[in-house]
Amino acid sequence: MDEFQEILQDFLVESFELVEKLDEDLVELENDPEDLELLNGIFRVAHTVKGASSFLNFDVLTHLTHHMEDVLNKARHGDLVLTPDIMDVILESVDLMKALLETIRDTSADAGIDVAACVARLDKITGGDGNVATPESIAPAPEAVAEEEVVEVTPAEDEPDYDNMSPDDLEAEIEKLLQERQAEDKAKREAKIAAGESVLEAPPEPTEESASKAKPEPTPEPTPEPTPAPAASAPVSTASSTPKEDSKAAAPAKRAPAAVEQTIRVDVKRLDHLMNLIGELVLAKNRLIKINDDVEERYEGEEFLEELNQVVSIVSLVTTDLQIAVMKTRMLPIGKVFNKFPRMIRDLSRELNKKIDLVLGGEDTELDKSIVEEIGDPLVHIIRNSCDHGVEMPEDRIAAGKDETGTIELKAYNEGNQIVIQIDDDGKGLDTNMLKNKSLEKGIITEKEADNMSDKEAFGLIFKPGFSTAAAVTSVSGRGVGMDVVKTNIEKLNGMIDIDSELGVGTSMKLKIPLTLAIIQALLVGVQEEHYAIPLASVLETVRISKDEIYTVEGRSVMRLRDEVLSLVHIGDIFEVERILDASEHAYVVVLGLGTSKLGLIVDTLVGQEEIVIKSLGDYLKGIEGVAGATIRGDGGVTLIVDVVALMQMAKDVKATPLSEITSESSANLEKTKASDYTVMIVDDSKTDRTIMRKSLEPMGMTLVEASDGQEALNILKSGEYNFDAMLVDIEMPRMDGYTLATEIKKYNKYKKLPLIAVTSRTGKSDRMRGVESGMVEYITKPYSADYLSSVVQRNVNFKAEFL
Amino acid sequence: MSDKLKQIINQQGDQQNVALDQLDDVVQLVGFIIGDEEYAIPILSIQEIIKPFSWTRVPQVPKYVLGVFNLRGAVIPLIDLRAKFGLQTKKQSDETRFIVMRHGDDVAGFVIDRLTMAIRIKKTDIGPAPDTVNGDDTIIDGVGKQADKIITILKVNKLLERDF
Repeated sequence: MDEFQEILQDFLVESFELVEKLDEDLVELENDPEDLELLNGIFRVAHTVKGASSFLNFDVLTHLTHHMEDVLNKARHGDLVLTPDIMDVILESVDLMKALLETIRDTSADAGIDVAACVARLDKITGGDGNVATPESIAPAPEAVAEEEVVEVTPAEDEPDYDNMSPDDLEAEIEKLLQERQAEDKAKREAKIAAGESVLEAPPEPTEESASKAKPEPTPEPTPEPTPAPAASAPVSTASSTPKEDSKAAAPAKRAPAAVEQTIRVDVKRLDHLMNLIGELVLAKNRLIKINDDVEERYEGEEFLEELNQVVSIVSLVTTDLQIAVMKTRMLPIGKVFNKFPRMIRDLSRELNKKIDLVLGGEDTELDKSIVEEIGDPLVHIIRNSCDHGVEMPEDRIAAGKDETGTIELKAYNEGNQIVIQIDDDGKGLDTNMLKNKSLEKGIITEKEADNMSDKEAFGLIFKPGFSTAAAVTSVSGRGVGMDVVKTNIEKLNGMIDIDSELGVGTSMKLKIPLTLAIIQALLVGVQEEHYAIPLASVLETVRISKDEIYTVEGRSVMRLRDEVLSLVHIGDIFEVERILDASEHAYVVVLGLGTSKLGLIVDTLVGQEEIVIKSLGDYLKGIEGVAGATIRGDGGVTLIVDVVALMQMAKDVKATPLSEITSESSANLEKTKASDYTVMIVDDSKTDRTIMRKSLEPMGMTLVEASDGQEALNILKSGEYNFDAMLVDIEMPRMDGYTLATEIKKYNKYKKLPLIAVTSRTGKSDRMRGVESGMVEYITKPYSADYLSSVVQRNVNFKAEFL
Repeated sequence: MSDKLKQIINQQGDQQNVALDQLDDVVQLVGFIIGDEEYAIPILSIQEIIKPFSWTRVPQVPKYVLGVFNLRGAVIPLIDLRAKFGLQTKKQSDETRFIVMRHGDDVAGFVIDRLTMAIRIKKTDIGPAPDTVNGDDTIIDGVGKQADKIITILKVNKLLERDF
């Protein structure tokens, strides 16, 4: 059973590949019915599928393909001219074939699809044309299909029992078979010549002769050399492939010698796993780089640094290459998606009575498999739309002085880190006034919005849910569901849609899609003490602004960006970030672009650009609005990734908090009732110094907390365990010195008024200046007397005299 | 394989079977303190117990969801059981731990005040949850009776269930 499954898998993969190409070839064939090479190719597909499916006992499929083969064979022999009507039937049968293959894939059986009607039609084509009555072309009664098939599959000719034959009989049998074969070949060649495809300059084959030559040969393998012609066509032709090989050689060797590509099929799951591992590696690499930077800082000038540097850069280089290499293994040419469109355009143009040409370009452009799978549906919608609403009726086109046949161009190309898929039509273009009126009618926009709308924004209206420009709803489009689905699908892929149109000339749509989904480039931004990652694909630009550049219009913040008005939202308002740090005079605006809409996101700092691996937040936290996932940074911390699509939605409902708003003083000074209510922190790296200060202050009965460096002091302060009234800070300390500590502390609103007293042996004037700059209020130089220290502290904490 | 070796292996197998028999009616739990109460969860649902480290806040979640943290490359939610049980939040101390629990594919870290010990308790010593909290909604699996105290046993799958 396993073996069968394996064969079945191979069969399905092969068949789907063949059928995929079939559509395209058939449409091409319709335009050029004389192209025998194409016809042969198509015939071979039907033949191959028939052969394999009969072997696997898929009777319905065999039945169908057999009849297709008959029709195609006739066409191939020139007995049948492929009219569009015949083509419709063939295409219908191809569709059925696809449906059958899908059923087989899902259920491992091909029951449940009725092919009788289609078969009857196929038969009619063959029958109406002096047919070579095949046994089953007697129009089968629909209900009898299955039974009849069983008969059909078992070879109709009574197979002689070779095992029990005498040598002589065997010889005779072989000869008989050989002759049959030769005659068949001859017939085929003649047919070919009749079809005007006599590229082969061989004289009429001396088939009879070669047959007689082959006579004494004991093997049934006919290795005839029927063509003494210069071109050594039909080299070692095995029995099964003789006719095909011949026809291939006959066509001026266009496809024949194509080098066999060395490929293996790999389960996608394995590639996904590999991709995950690479993701981990990228994270580790980021971490390594960060550690390297830290080490560099600490051990400046050490010799081993250079070696470390080299190793780190090699690792990061190789990781990047590895990542690209694995990404490439997941890449598929976009042609896989494109090749279903010629067929679609053909069907649509017949249905809509329009004349439309499809021009494809850049089919070789490669995209990640997961994206290729997602991009198909949006493209179908867009192209349908172009056919239905874009390209005009032939008479209208002539009236407008255009070529009767409209053209839709579909092409893909690389642009930086993105793939651009461009769909151009030379139709009537988008009428902005009409779009606005329509949207007004449907209540999608308000009159005011309509007035302020730029052309680009107006084009963007077609992506609004519930919008449809077609006056009449057709089966093709106009139900008003298509284009907003397109937009959501593209945005899901972190892509953007750019739309451009000129009235009467045409419309051009550009889909910009990132190469891959798992690892992305992101812009890291900071707000207060938090960091967020924004997918770089959605970032158009960043601008540094000062607060007075922000205006408020109807309760929302906006700014002028060159000649546009950009609406703004603070990332802190979206993610409910507590404003603990003092807002600085400047802020950064990250201009986000998605599809046609833009939004300015105000952040406090720009951290930089980094390659990040997208990780899911898991089931427990899924569906948090505005968060697309998380990533692990070089320092091991987790950073949330902004979901730009959701963020744009949320921005509409968020109320702006003025940048300058200061959080109310939460740490209201509690009334001091005893001396120990006063808390002072002593920050010094020397134990002796700390003890001296402690000894000087202890007599007053204050609570004293010690820290041995700036970092520790900051942590204690942030933990909020104590409510400090003053801090004694040494300047020279490891990890974080006194100046830095003071600067850090002053960033917090609630510590604005906390008195910082420098206690140091530095006495220079510039040191004092620096102290004042960083926010120190007093400057005590060592050595000092205990009384002096305690009096300074008392003064600064407003120590009540009664506690003394 | 020599007979002796076989014999040894058989013996070991027997011992294991015996051990399993004994385990059958004993539940192994890990006890911890939140506030003033002692709670316990089955030892097999614990992936690991770690010392606290930094986490990242996540917006739009209830207060008891502190955020997410990085557990060797996986992003895992962190839930404060004090807050979840309606207690005042407390500063983390030296005894604070994160218990990483797993149920099926669901994993989350839980902040607890203090670990107590691993407990072996007979199944017969576990009573049902008090009547007032009966039903499927409760996160209490049962009440374990010890010599000197009782321990509330929690349902891990309920703890890991998203309830917002």
